[in-house]
Amino acid sequence: MAELALQDVRKSFGAVDVIKGVDLEIKDGEFTVFVGPSGCGKSTLLRMIAGLEEVTSGDIMIDAEVVTDEEPFDREIAMVFQSYALYPHMTVAENMAFALRLQGMSKPERRKVVEQAAEVLKITPLLDRRPAQLSGGQRQRVAIGRAIVREPKVFLFDEPLSNLDAELRVQMRIEIARLHGELKSTMIYVTHDQTEAMTMADRIVVLRDGLVEQVGAPTDLYDDPDNMFVAGFIGSPKMNFLSVAATGPRQVSLGGLSLDLPQLKNDLNVGTEYALGVRPEHLFGGEGPGLTMQIEVVEQLGQTAYVHGRLGAEAQPVVVELRDQRPKTGQTIEITFDLSRATLFDAQEQRVR
Amino acid sequence: MSKPAKRDRRILWAASVPMMLLALSCVYPIYFAINNALKDRKGYILDRFGLVTDPSIENFVTAWSRARFDEYFFNSVTVTAGAVLALLLVSSLAGFALAVLRFPARKLIFGVILASLMIPVQVVLVPFYQTIVALELLNTRIGLILSYTAFFLPFSTYLMTAFYAALPRELVDAARVDGAKFLQVWWYVMLPMGKPALLTLGILNTLYCWNDVLISLLVLQDERTLMVGIAALRGEYTTNVPLLSAAIVLGAAPIVLLYVIFQRKIVAGIATGAVKG
Repeated sequence: MAELALQDVRKSFGAVDVIKGVDLEIKDGEFTVFVGPSGCGKSTLLRMIAGLEEVTSGDIMIDAEVVTDEEPFDREIAMVFQSYALYPHMTVAENMAFALRLQGMSKPERRKVVEQAAEVLKITPLLDRRPAQLSGGQRQRVAIGRAIVREPKVFLFDEPLSNLDAELRVQMRIEIARLHGELKSTMIYVTHDQTEAMTMADRIVVLRDGLVEQVGAPTDLYDDPDNMFVAGFIGSPKMNFLSVAATGPRQVSLGGLSLDLPQLKNDLNVGTEYALGVRPEHLFGGEGPGLTMQIEVVEQLGQTAYVHGRLGAEAQPVVVELRDQRPKTGQTIEITFDLSRATLFDAQEQRVR
Repeated sequence: MSKPAKRDRRILWAASVPMMLLALSCVYPIYFAINNALKDRKGYILDRFGLVTDPSIENFVTAWSRARFDEYFFNSVTVTAGAVLALLLVSSLAGFALAVLRFPARKLIFGVILASLMIPVQVVLVPFYQTIVALELLNTRIGLILSYTAFFLPFSTYLMTAFYAALPRELVDAARVDGAKFLQVWWYVMLPMGKPALLTLGILNTLYCWNDVLISLLVLQDERTLMVGIAALRGEYTTNVPLLSAAIVLGAAPIVLLYVIFQRKIVAGIATGAVKG
């Protein structure tokens, strides 16, 4: 159990800056998810916290103690890797007990600790097998077990579910969340999958190009993004961005339709272009002003259907979520804007509030 | 039988005849050695190529006791075992360092090791001999062990580096997170995982050391290894061929035995190295 703090942490590989100054505080027992597209530096940041990657400048603190130059083990962290990284020549029990063996714990004691962890993860029957004899899901459980036995201050997960099939991924997601509930440890989880981030996190850290774009609870990021990147990255399908022009201090026009945005605290520059962000579920069945759209593609998922089409005279592409309907390609539907949930972004992709 | 099948069979025959000749050229010397080792001198002179009529193990006994082959054999075993152990230990450590650790001039060092692979032993014999003399290692088994280690190390290091570089890096990361220091990472993770490559190297290096004449002749001048002993049996004007044959059989037997035991693993190991390198 521990708090973790990053202070202006930077990392360069030669002339390439990968992490460009990250400040972050993670509270004791919090489940934090680092999310971002590939190459945003999220795994590098995690490896820096683990001590596997040297920090170019800045400080990493665990429980108010600077650990920037300490060895991974001395930081009292445990890490679960994407490829599981189980030692192939050791049995499951030996894999899990390896850290304890290095610490000099006696064999019977090790066995006891391992058996307790195996109990939690339901892998007791596998203890004497080797990693090659296990399925992907079982291997990941063992990798998590190896982390648990250490009783670390912080758990680090580096895209642990990426190698699993879709069904198993959902199952393991729930198990990791349950595990966090049981252990109440500080956990940091890296993923590129925003669904994983949304479902598991207490707090999400959205990264892009080595910088933190926004930090907040999943629903905060979803409802109240700071910029277009976060707005587009969080939520599936993506938020629609429609280009609009300001026609008044709190009014924009889209395809000849005037849309009022009374929630704005700042005045808009009349005549300037903005991007109006509206999520697919806020485009249908509401009370607000409407436009017609011809359906081009239908993704029918059962109760929900995502329809793709082009909106208005400017033919801007949009995705709309429909519920309890069976829309057909070529049909024309009425789009209504739920403007109370809409967000507005300026030319620098920053949120206009 | 249809036409294509006939043609296939002809091709098979055409291929197998040269193959058989090749096999014969490999098998014949073995037959020659064993066959003549069982003859006495007179029997050999009367009929060189014919099958032995009155087999005796006299030559083996003579070679072993009178020609001091027991000593030579012991020398060969100690030196080979020592050198192979040293080679495996050093190449595994060096391979681990070159493949996993990030230190300055790593690529340069690896390049130099690779380059030294291309220098034949004969080219450096004189400076090598001077070094051995200067270090007072002449006529010592440890001197020969160190010499073999030095000469065969580049290839071993190259193979281990290639093998370790192909292992997932996350294993080393995991071990470090688990609290292993660098040497512990090597001992607990890299060494056991390097087994297939180490086995291949063990066998190859055993062959090299066991069969070497040149380096051994230079370093161990008072005593002899088995291969030098065999070479010395050849006289300038006459050679006792049955005795030489018996010595050859004695010298080859341990290696043949080793090969039979590890046959599958040798092939698998060489393939492993090839693919992963």
